[in-house]
Amino acid sequence: MSRRNPLLLTLPFLLLSLLAQTLAAVEPAKVEVTPSTVKTGTFYGGAKMRIAGMASAGNKIIVVVRGPSAARVFNKLGRVGPIWVNTGKVTISGAPSLLMIFSSAPLNACLNSAVLDQYQLDLASLKKQVQTDAKAEDRDRLAYDFLAFKAKQGDYRLNSVSVHLGAASPEGLPYSLDFQMPRSATSGKYQVSVLECRDGEVVNHADVELAVVEVGFPALIASMAREHSSFYGFISVIIAMAAGFGIDFVASHVFERKVAAH
Amino acid sequence: MWILLPIARMSIALPLLVGVGAMIGFLSGMFGVSGGFLLTPILMMIGIPPTVAAASDSCQIVAGASSGAAAHFRLGNVDVKLGITMLVGGLAGGWIGVQIIRVLRALGTADFAITVTYVLMLGGIGSYMFFESLSNLRRGTLVPKSYQASSGEGLLSRLPFQVDFPSSQVRHSLIVPLALGGIVGILAAIMGVGGGFIMLPMMVYLLRMPMHKAVGTSLFQILFTSAGVTFLQATTNHTVDLMLALLLAAGSTIGAQIGARLGRLLRGDQLKILLASIVLLVMIKMAVGLLMTPSLKITPARGL
Repeated sequence: MSRRNPLLLTLPFLLLSLLAQTLAAVEPAKVEVTPSTVKTGTFYGGAKMRIAGMASAGNKIIVVVRGPSAARVFNKLGRVGPIWVNTGKVTISGAPSLLMIFSSAPLNACLNSAVLDQYQLDLASLKKQVQTDAKAEDRDRLAYDFLAFKAKQGDYRLNSVSVHLGAASPEGLPYSLDFQMPRSATSGKYQVSVLECRDGEVVNHADVELAVVEVGFPALIASMAREHSSFYGFISVIIAMAAGFGIDFVASHVFERKVAAH
Repeated sequence: MWILLPIARMSIALPLLVGVGAMIGFLSGMFGVSGGFLLTPILMMIGIPPTVAAASDSCQIVAGASSGAAAHFRLGNVDVKLGITMLVGGLAGGWIGVQIIRVLRALGTADFAITVTYVLMLGGIGSYMFFESLSNLRRGTLVPKSYQASSGEGLLSRLPFQVDFPSSQVRHSLIVPLALGGIVGILAAIMGVGGGFIMLPMMVYLLRMPMHKAVGTSLFQILFTSAGVTFLQATTNHTVDLMLALLLAAGSTIGAQIGARLGRLLRGDQLKILLASIVLLVMIKMAVGLLMTPSLKITPARGL
């Protein structure tokens, strides 16, 4: 019986172990978004959301919720004499309709500035994304005003340390985030990205789609007003008249009963 | 509880909206005015875009005027002939007003034009009411000044197309009610008001109609002018928010009942001064908004 080198015997096990580690490193982070579809019905005033998953132990977590990018028209304000008036229109595009960034530690503790810029997670990189059809000398100020407007509307929330990390286990590091989807979220496809960070770099990430859908009465009214405006105008008048005559009918009967009782 | 306004494209607290409607209804019940001229600026203050606020206010007025006109019709207080004449002018004026808004929107100045018109109208009406009531209170009399024929009235009687309006027992040129209706129609489209606060004094002082006939006929005309303006706003500017209008109408109905009962506890001139003060406060708030340097130099251009 020939004597075999022990190193040769252990080599396959070493290779298998290395392969398993490599596979584990590239395996996408597990993300669960609840609910997966936000329905904006009659009584929509924002939605309670939960994002949870499992990451590798020792990593920091950043969760980014990004709305679809769409061009939007704004009035430009300028001073004419003592009063502020609209002096023209400007179309602003390129930036997401909604942007919320949550993390388990302050952003600059999670990622270095070059990576923050690469993933468009800070104001400076967002400002670069904003495109306008205004004159070159106005662009910088308009981009700043646009970002301030979005923040004021509650559409942009750029730095919230609210991702909760659980206790690490052999399965990994559980994380969770509870937040409120804003009232201003319009219908469209939103992207939820989870970034796992270590030593200032992104070591793993996962993307999940989140749909915001207009449903029920508001959806019906909005589509009717857009696509069948004559019918919508007619129906609006008829419903308002019916409401008025109905009120009069009820009031007159109540009044007559009171008179009869006297 | 929140409610999603489909045309204004915003969620708003339901109690706030019904509360605003109730407050306007309360004022209308207490002071005997439709309150439309206060409702649009208040809606603008809570964040509703001015063009949507004005158009939806017109729709809300349809509900209120239907109720009032039906009650007055049963009492025989509506001069249908005069009302229809004014209505023809009102619909033409409404069409002109909607076209003005369309052009101003294309230029990006519609919201500004609505705000400035409001500041001027509220300032004028509020100041007039305030000082007139103050002088009445100082004189210690509640008797209104007796009406005296003006030189303008002689001019009106010389106009062509003189027609009898037997229900109101007056004779006027067709041009007078047509023009009056036209002015109100333009205001209804631009400001989203019924126009009762302008039409009523003109019907009583200029057309010499009995007060109860003026109120009933004014409501009859306002109902159809506002209905026409609502339809035109919906088809031309797409700014009528039916949800907003119905919620305001619901709140207004409740508020009007409370206001009418409380109004009986106050004297006429006290009521007028109170209303004038509210009107002036709203005007000052809007004027300050126009004069103060805004923190942001962009505002969203709304509408579908």
